[in-house]
Amino acid sequence: MTRILVDGVEVDVPAEYTLLQACEEAGAEVPRFCFHERLSIAGNCRMCLVEVKGGPPKPQASCAIAVKDLRPGPDGAPPEVFTKSPMVKKAREGVMEFLLVNHPLDCPICDQGGECDLQDQALAFGGDSSRYAENKRAVEDKYIGPLVKTAMTRCIHCTRCVRFTAEIAGTSDMGAIGRGEDMEITTYLQTAMTSELQGNVTDLCPVGALLPKPQNFRARPWEYQKTETIDVQDALGSAIRVDARGREVIRILPRLNEAVNEEWISDKTRQVVDGLKAQRLDRPYIRENGRLRPASWQEALGTVAAKTKATKAEKIGALVGDLAALEEIFALKLLVEGRGSANLDARQDGSKLDPRFGRASYLFNASIAGIDEADSLLIVGSNPRKEAPVLNARIRKRWLKGDFLISAIGEQADLTYDYDYLGAGPDALARFIESAPTASAKRIVLIGQGALTRPDGRAILALAAQAARKHGGLSEGWNGFSVLHTAAARVGALDLGFTPGQGGLDAADIAKAGVLDLVFNLGADEIAIEPGAFVVYIGTHGDKGAHRADVILPGAAYTEKFGLYVNTEGRVQEALRATFPPGDAREDWAILRALSGALGAPLPFDSQKQLRAKLGEAHPHLLRLDQIGSASAADLEAVALQPATAWKDDFAPAITDFYLTNPIARASATMAECSALALDRLKQAAE
Amino acid sequence: MLADKDRIFTNLYGIGDKSLAGARSRGAWDNTKALLALGRDKIIQEMKDSGLRGRGGAGFSTGLKWSFMPKTPDPARPSYLVINADESEPGTCKDREIMRNDPQTLIEGALIASFAMGAHASYIYVRGEFIAERIALQKAIDEAYEARLIGKDNIHGYPFDLYVHHGAGAYICGEETALIESLEGKKGMPRLKPPFPANVGLYGCPTTVNNVESIAVAPTILRRGASWFAGIGKPNNTGTKLFSISGHVNKPCNVEEAMSIPFRELIDRHCGGVRGGSDNLLAVIPGGSSVRLVPADQIIDCPMDFDSLVKLGSGLGTAAVIVMDKSTDIIRAIARISYFYKHESCGQCTPCREGTGWMWRVVTRMAEGRAHKREIDMLFDVSKQIEGHTICALGDAAAWPIQGLINHFRGEIEKRIDRYAANPHPDPVRVAAE
Amino acid sequence: MSYIIRFFTWWNRATLSTGLWTLLYGERVGTDEFGNVYYRRRGGKKDKALGFERRWVIYKGYAEGSATPPGWYGWLHHTVDTPPTQEKYAPKEWELPYRPNLTGTSAAYHPPGSILAEGRRAPAGGDYQAWTPEA
Repeated sequence: MTRILVDGVEVDVPAEYTLLQACEEAGAEVPRFCFHERLSIAGNCRMCLVEVKGGPPKPQASCAIAVKDLRPGPDGAPPEVFTKSPMVKKAREGVMEFLLVNHPLDCPICDQGGECDLQDQALAFGGDSSRYAENKRAVEDKYIGPLVKTAMTRCIHCTRCVRFTAEIAGTSDMGAIGRGEDMEITTYLQTAMTSELQGNVTDLCPVGALLPKPQNFRARPWEYQKTETIDVQDALGSAIRVDARGREVIRILPRLNEAVNEEWISDKTRQVVDGLKAQRLDRPYIRENGRLRPASWQEALGTVAAKTKATKAEKIGALVGDLAALEEIFALKLLVEGRGSANLDARQDGSKLDPRFGRASYLFNASIAGIDEADSLLIVGSNPRKEAPVLNARIRKRWLKGDFLISAIGEQADLTYDYDYLGAGPDALARFIESAPTASAKRIVLIGQGALTRPDGRAILALAAQAARKHGGLSEGWNGFSVLHTAAARVGALDLGFTPGQGGLDAADIAKAGVLDLVFNLGADEIAIEPGAFVVYIGTHGDKGAHRADVILPGAAYTEKFGLYVNTEGRVQEALRATFPPGDAREDWAILRALSGALGAPLPFDSQKQLRAKLGEAHPHLLRLDQIGSASAADLEAVALQPATAWKDDFAPAITDFYLTNPIARASATMAECSALALDRLKQAAE
Repeated sequence: MLADKDRIFTNLYGIGDKSLAGARSRGAWDNTKALLALGRDKIIQEMKDSGLRGRGGAGFSTGLKWSFMPKTPDPARPSYLVINADESEPGTCKDREIMRNDPQTLIEGALIASFAMGAHASYIYVRGEFIAERIALQKAIDEAYEARLIGKDNIHGYPFDLYVHHGAGAYICGEETALIESLEGKKGMPRLKPPFPANVGLYGCPTTVNNVESIAVAPTILRRGASWFAGIGKPNNTGTKLFSISGHVNKPCNVEEAMSIPFRELIDRHCGGVRGGSDNLLAVIPGGSSVRLVPADQIIDCPMDFDSLVKLGSGLGTAAVIVMDKSTDIIRAIARISYFYKHESCGQCTPCREGTGWMWRVVTRMAEGRAHKREIDMLFDVSKQIEGHTICALGDAAAWPIQGLINHFRGEIEKRIDRYAANPHPDPVRVAAE
Repeated sequence: MSYIIRFFTWWNRATLSTGLWTLLYGERVGTDEFGNVYYRRRGGKKDKALGFERRWVIYKGYAEGSATPPGWYGWLHHTVDTPPTQEKYAPKEWELPYRPNLTGTSAAYHPPGSILAEGRRAPAGGDYQAWTPEA
């Protein structure tokens, strides 16, 4: 810790802090454009100039100087920095004037207006007028992909976007061409960016040069109703802010959560918004003579109740999809178990994870933030870049820090970092277990769904546990056995025990023709239920599940209900309602409660509050928001001892198309465009 | 007047034999082993005592710069010597003569300097436009390798490799950190300092970047002793210096002279005087385009050295003396220089990127008189806002010529504005270049 | 009634003192198409405070600065010295008759989509697209 005087206020800061951070610490506001906490320091906007006492008689860029670089004054007095002196004020006004010299000042037609760093700082730190009387520079707009619209005349060349793609995303998509006044930011030959995190450059851009294309000219920042909630597009549960205007969700922005997503979100999380408005189920439907016809709630619920009453308990089954919240899973479980059925399954992809092996067997035990302190990583049957791009960025961040050995088994994909490729199947995993242990004491063994959704998934799980035990994955105070889920609802469903009970059937059997007579389908759209059973679909979009359904009960999407979700590391988070469900759609738990009423056996709650109370009685840890809950590493010892005879087949990717993994994304035109582009790139690469 | 016996570059004009044999006959590589035997500390001490100040423009003590390099070698982070032969400063043409005609002095200097800072590899970054120079230099290096003067296993017993790297032709790559970036294969954009190259330089390793002339004079200094070198010129401005005199003199030339030689003597003795006599002198830019110009009455008897010129608000820079007589349109001249800086700005940091273009446009208008008198003060203020606010010194270099113009020739600009105001015409502004 | 209004309000026609001043010193120059009456100092005498001739207008009804048409505006503001009545200016066929600024009145301009505009508001795009089963 070093003492430093900022405008006469003494603060004690770590020596490696930059002056800018030290000034912030002392409460002095320092304007900046190029500086960003998570990017490397460029020092090129020159907005953060401060005066350093005893230094050269010119202002210094505070973002580029560390506190330890300052020499103390005579007789050990702490170094002194001024952020409000006349010299600093004049320098900032000068830099601001330069920035505005070639800025078009088209704020009235710029979408950034109202949340623009340049606007705010010009107001706070700029001069009152411009002296520039020459012609302004105009720059041609670039095409850099379907998610980012450019207005390059507005660019102030802070290079945040360049540094983001190079450092965080790891794709080096963007760069600057030309020099001096003619420097232009672009992608190579104006091709689309390739990163799954590219949308973040629109947040980073301090001006209106890079703007989200789908939200082009849609709304002003002050018109939004902002809801701080969480995302369900992948199993990370990234913190997001849903901005709605009226009853329409316009955009989704990341929120800061150091434990999960830092401040990035994937493109699917960000731009799935138009999927929330397309293909919506807004009224109940009943299939009559092979055709679905609109129906009233009363009629639909009556039909389902009559069918349920007429069906024997062992002929009833229930499936849970990837986007369901804890409330409705819990309600459905009570409902179906109340009828006496044990045919429950939430693992529509056929994953072999099971709560009977203990909670540690299906969690990302290392925790997402734990990646930062790990010393090596083994990826088994996973492509984190597709399954959880934000997590992949975290791995890349750890890798950039150095001393981080990454090895991978399964698909040999471009993960934006280097890794040792050990092989494609379980053989390679077995060989790895046999290999001599290294000095690694904090290894993460990351098991993807690609390894677990196979019939021999249980054996792979055992092998992975052995690998973790033998190679530094399970040590004192460290549990590196980490399952990366792809579905936001999965961990919650496993925590609630939504798996086949005593003698119950699993998802594959439930979907088989002629096995069951009645299937409750709570948003499971990735599984094909074969003909035969009467299917009650509770969901939001007209996707695979709705087409197969005999009765459709319209539910609420994740931005339209209050719901609890558990992310891949076991963290309980709450999603909040930003808008209301469309038309006659209702919140899913309420539908199930109404259905139970129609059955004459009402579920023991009349409000969400009561539902949560019941949930808390059964599973206390699921009400502790933002906590991970306990998971015993000892369970993994038992998993490791299980028989582990795996097949020879290579691990298949869990996700084939990153942009189209769930019904909401499949309804989105933006995601479809991204998917088509990615497919094109794949084809070109293959040629 | 420098005596012939005190000249370091004895083949500056390429009259003698340029080959290794010829250079040896002039004294190069004469018992270099004995020089290395002095040891690192002794060599650096000699360089400090000689008072040699960097010949690249900033005038920082060369010996001191060498002493910043780490004393104990770290195998993971080797030291590097990088020689800056990106001689792009308008008016400067001294290094190219060394590389073309006397390259062995440079190669020998590179060996000694590398030894003094514990570097086993050295890079010479040659300006993109210097094709003949690079060929000549490469030939000389090949000869030196052939004769085992340098190389992994050379007769001096100090493994040393020397590489020539050819730039792509950008003024900014003469800035030491931009040069390092360019050498690493990146875009030539200056780095932030600190950390200085002596800590984190080429490939993140300790690096010293020196001008060609600073390195090339080192062997002779060591051979003849620091006191000999320090005895030439004035205290703190010692030794000999290559002056490149161009512009309105009767015989423009490159000449090695003692530091602190008065301007009048320099011009009269070597260049045949100012065109039309010394009364015809208007102004002089004494150190390459990036220093402030000095009007005739102030420069004429001024000693040409670092400190005296700083007192005049200018600088010695690279000692590229640009002489302008009274036929010069001084405003257009500065406008052209201003265009150069606008063209060569790397575009990394704001004041330089936006400001150089602004200044160029205003001063180009002023060259025709299409301006308001209040814009003179505005231009001066803009140049002050660029100066000192940028990452590298290009911002300063772009601001200084304008400041020199306004300081010394404000009346000229006002006259021009009045003349235009009396007879305005709608023709477009004539652009200074292109 | 009109007398009382005239007495107490300053935004209708002339105030009492302006009327008195006009009566004593004003010289009527002309009237525009809206009925506003234009005056100048009698005989074009220079005003002591201004240093030149004083010109003024007494509005017909509500006193609104933009109610003076361009010709008279130019004369009032000393852009020209000939009042439009003495000029032979024929409006071009494409010239619309002058309208005072309507801001703040019920006839004010509202862009399409404004909630104050007449007619129906364009949909804000807030509606979702519902799924319908294929026939």
